[in-house]
Amino acid sequence: MSNFWFLKGIKKGVKTEKFPYEQEESPPLWPSKISGSGKAECPTNAIENGKWNSEKCIFCRRCVPNYQPDGDQNLFDVSKGEKTFKRSFYVFPVDTGSCSGCNMEFFNIFSPQYDSSRLGIFMTNTPRHADALLVMGIMTDGMREALELAYEAMPEPKLVIGLGACALSGGILGTPPLPKDQYNIRISGCPPSPYTVLKALLKAKEGDDGLNEYSRSGTN
Amino acid sequence: MIPYLHYLPLAIFTLSAILSLSNKKIAYLFIVIGSIFFAFLQFRSENEITYFSLIVSIVWVLVGIYSLSYGERYGRWLPSLLSVTIIGMFLILTASNYVLFIVGWEVMSIPSYLIIAINKRDSPAAFTFMVFSELSTIFLIAGVLYAFSLSGFTTFTFTSLHSAIPLLLIGFGALIKMGMTPFLISEWLPIAHGSAPASASAIFSATMTVMGVYIIFRMIEISAGSPGLYYVGLIFLLIGGMSIFFASIYAYISENMKILGGFSTIENQAAILSAFGLFLISSDALLKQFVLVTIIIFTFSHSLSKTGLFLTVGNSSGEYFSEAKNKNSLFGKVGTMLSIISLSGLFPTIGGLAVWMLLESFFMQAFIGGYAGIVAIISGSIIAVSEGMVTGAMLKIFFFTNLFRKKEENPEKLQSFVVFFVGLAVVTLFAFSVLMIPQLFLSGIPSVLVFNGLMIESRFGVGDFGLISPDYVILLIAMFSLLTYGVFRKPKARISPAWNGGSPVSPPYTSFAYSGNIKIMLKKILRTKTDTYGRDLSVVDVFWSSMIIIGVNYRKACKLVTRGFMNSSVGWYMIYMIVAFMVVLLISVLFF
Amino acid sequence: MQWYKFGEPSGRYVGETAYHRITENMITEKTETLTEKYKELPGEFGFLYGPSTGGLLESVLFNIHTPGEVIKGIDVNPEVKLRKIIVNGLKPADALLRIERINAYHSASHSIAFCSAVEDALDIEVSETTRERRIAMIELERIRSNLEVIKRICEPAGFGVPYNQIAYLKEKISRIIGNLFDHRYMFSSNSIGFATLNFKDVSGELSDIRKDFSDIFDSLLQSKIFLNRLQNNGVIDTADLIGPAARAAGHNIDARIDSETLPYRDMNFKPAIFDEPDAFGRFYVRSMEVLDSIDLVMSIKLETQQEKSNDPKNSEGEGAARIESPQGDLFYYVKIFDGKIDHIELSSPSIPNINAFKKSMIGNIFTDFHFNWESFGIWISEAAVLFQ
Repeated sequence: MSNFWFLKGIKKGVKTEKFPYEQEESPPLWPSKISGSGKAECPTNAIENGKWNSEKCIFCRRCVPNYQPDGDQNLFDVSKGEKTFKRSFYVFPVDTGSCSGCNMEFFNIFSPQYDSSRLGIFMTNTPRHADALLVMGIMTDGMREALELAYEAMPEPKLVIGLGACALSGGILGTPPLPKDQYNIRISGCPPSPYTVLKALLKAKEGDDGLNEYSRSGTN
Repeated sequence: MIPYLHYLPLAIFTLSAILSLSNKKIAYLFIVIGSIFFAFLQFRSENEITYFSLIVSIVWVLVGIYSLSYGERYGRWLPSLLSVTIIGMFLILTASNYVLFIVGWEVMSIPSYLIIAINKRDSPAAFTFMVFSELSTIFLIAGVLYAFSLSGFTTFTFTSLHSAIPLLLIGFGALIKMGMTPFLISEWLPIAHGSAPASASAIFSATMTVMGVYIIFRMIEISAGSPGLYYVGLIFLLIGGMSIFFASIYAYISENMKILGGFSTIENQAAILSAFGLFLISSDALLKQFVLVTIIIFTFSHSLSKTGLFLTVGNSSGEYFSEAKNKNSLFGKVGTMLSIISLSGLFPTIGGLAVWMLLESFFMQAFIGGYAGIVAIISGSIIAVSEGMVTGAMLKIFFFTNLFRKKEENPEKLQSFVVFFVGLAVVTLFAFSVLMIPQLFLSGIPSVLVFNGLMIESRFGVGDFGLISPDYVILLIAMFSLLTYGVFRKPKARISPAWNGGSPVSPPYTSFAYSGNIKIMLKKILRTKTDTYGRDLSVVDVFWSSMIIIGVNYRKACKLVTRGFMNSSVGWYMIYMIVAFMVVLLISVLFF
Repeated sequence: MQWYKFGEPSGRYVGETAYHRITENMITEKTETLTEKYKELPGEFGFLYGPSTGGLLESVLFNIHTPGEVIKGIDVNPEVKLRKIIVNGLKPADALLRIERINAYHSASHSIAFCSAVEDALDIEVSETTRERRIAMIELERIRSNLEVIKRICEPAGFGVPYNQIAYLKEKISRIIGNLFDHRYMFSSNSIGFATLNFKDVSGELSDIRKDFSDIFDSLLQSKIFLNRLQNNGVIDTADLIGPAARAAGHNIDARIDSETLPYRDMNFKPAIFDEPDAFGRFYVRSMEVLDSIDLVMSIKLETQQEKSNDPKNSEGEGAARIESPQGDLFYYVKIFDGKIDHIELSSPSIPNINAFKKSMIGNIFTDFHFNWESFGIWISEAAVLFQ
């Protein structure tokens, strides 16, 4: 019996959460939306004059207790979506110099708890099949050419996703691989939680006009 | 008819050999003119034996035109020596007696050693080529003397014989020259052919080997009805089957383009030899006639396509696949493609027809049954397998010269054009192949617009077997291509750059890797030779290693014998050549 | 330096920093060793795999030298994503933010090794509670890391069910870590001199995970197809192995028993050892470690209790510390001057593992590649770091 994996799988039952149709089951506190007022000793200048910029924030907790997280996972900004990808959205990840945190959290959206395949989000092994390029990590010399080649190899229409503080602002470690305005979707966090990643991708594939029943609007 | 007119080409070729000392271009032009005259004077559509003259003159014309573009690349010796070789072949093809034939054989062979010796200094290729060629001459002379004795020591002319021994001896001599004996498949031929300039390689591979086919053809004709022919046929089938199988494998795994061409030559010759074998063992008169036609068509296809192949390879720089670089030319590419399709035995080329006819012959014999049928089905299967392997080998040439590698600029227009012309010729010959086939094997099905005389039927004593209509094939291919184009127009492809995991695209795919599948499949036979660190060096096979041992010892013995009066320096070849010429002249003067 | 000295090598090999060779208790000046590059023979070619393609978690470039199927040699180039991280001249606490981000998946190992080195340099006394918390952090991280490796071994074998079941368990561990430390990757949970913890009772969840995993593990062990892919694949047994690769080859090598940084000895810890130096052995040892680490975490009494750092006795000095990260020995050396980092060196376990992988891959074929690569659990982000 031990090798009937199929039966073993069925025996475990459905482990996938109701998210995004319902609330997140286990949202992490860090990273999540931060609010508060007063001084903060911020190593990345994410808090300036009391205003918090999620894209620079590395969620290092140095601003506690003046600022507090509220568990809200909507840490993303979609400036351009694409309705064409409504049914299937293939993402090609490029690691330009990450700490592997963003890689892990991106891959985690395919684990049974989130199971993004049921929502029409897939990963692909080549940019030639990709609808979106997902960039993680700071810019490194060795990956510059690969990033350019990957972007060139993608068919139109295409989206570019920046994942994590390093890709968006360089975070605390270096410089970002692309300028801010080249990202169509910006997902904040260090690293962003799978909930955030999933929400951002869902919004991107629904296009600009209108959201479907599950994806709530991103803020920021 | 003007007397001695048929000596006109001889005069032109001789003139060419002399003129080349002052102007190479004119010499090549004379080769072209002489060949055209030769074809016109010799060719009779009703006489099968004259087809050989037509075949070789077409090759000479093509090589002559191709060589016009050589410029300063080779010295004045090349056109001169080529002309002398051609004179030798002229003598063989026009000889009416054995002596003139032997004279022609030597006149043909001697300059070829020199061409290789001058082109590749410090290479044993010329030496081994000479040793094996002279060995073949010894067999030929033995055969001739036996035939002479059979005639009661009265005449040297080709008269009908009542023994199979001269055929066997002369056949062996020819087979050595064709690279199939003494070791079923001989390394020296590919190496020797590969060591000459492209034009000479083409002449050697496409016409010199045809001389072997010609003489066997001739000998079979005059030995008809002799006892023991059946066993000669079995020997031919055995040698042919083994040679074709191994030649196709070696061609497939070869790393050197010209050597691949050489192995492919052996493969083609072995196919023709098998056809001879089938002719000898078969007792069905109609089938025998079909086999003879097959041999002519096969020789035609081999000579033309092989010329195309060697000229293509000559067009690329670098002998090895790893360094192959072809000139960027659409004409050249199309010509190469058609040549290799023909060598692979695929439609719509003359090679396709040749292989089809050959396999049909074998399977017809198998249908008739008996021991001959069993032999035929085994040989036919081996040939079919080998033809498949050859397709892979040929594609390898095409991929590595025309697709994979970066192209060089400035293609030589004339050279590409000649290659293109060869490609055109193999298709044209296919289209007009019905003209070369006796009425006996032609028919038609007017109800589906295949008119009478446009369809080739393989027939034997029992009845009809298979059919093909070359023009119908071409028409269908053309029609469907045009139809596809008409419906879909130009493909609406979006061209996006290739993706190589983020690394720049430079696939260093080697031909060694290309043939990896065969090396793994046949790893019981083919062993990858490794060095002391366990790293791959080259591929050897179990039979080959033992053959090499015999070959090396044989060569050593030959060297010991010949060291006294000959070594591999060019000067000695010169002396040998002059002495041999004097002997030849002396014999000719004495005889006539 | 409490535990390390500069001098001639003694004891087992641990790893290499940019300038030094590290052995059990010694830091030795590195003598220049030229790494021999593979020279291709006629007919062989280099097959480039990567840096950014399917089957690779992180960017890394392989150049596989092959005549067609057999791998004759392999170059691994992790430096395609070489990150230059500025640490020198920073206060240790600021440097810690960067050290944590060398490899997020093993940030606890890196931050604890770094903090221990700084504590060694500045002579900061660390409380027993903090030390136990750190063990809990590293062991939770080990469970998750080993689960990831086993999951990725299942993937090329086409074992979808265990693959997803392990992914499920892994995400559960991530959530346990998130609950305990407020961050799924333990960023900023560890500080110089102390560690923060937000206690929740996780023993029930952990024992569920233990039971589920040991079921999956047992079934995998009974699957002939799975074992055939791993056994005799990537055999390597040399003296410079570390971590699970060494333990799979039967060497009793573990920083948890021969390093003083963390009090594993007080917990009567014994590492899991196996006697097959191949991919299967590494899979087996990692699986056993998952079970052992769960037991270890459950045996630690965790409480929410605000910890504070003790005052440093020095403001400058040298310090070195070594801990057992999931891949093997992780070593940090720091030199602090005037309260700021003057010099820092890291010996990452992924580098000896890459070397071992390169050696073990010779003679294998392409289909073995992924199993062998994953079995070493190599992380590129910690192998390609340059401190500035």
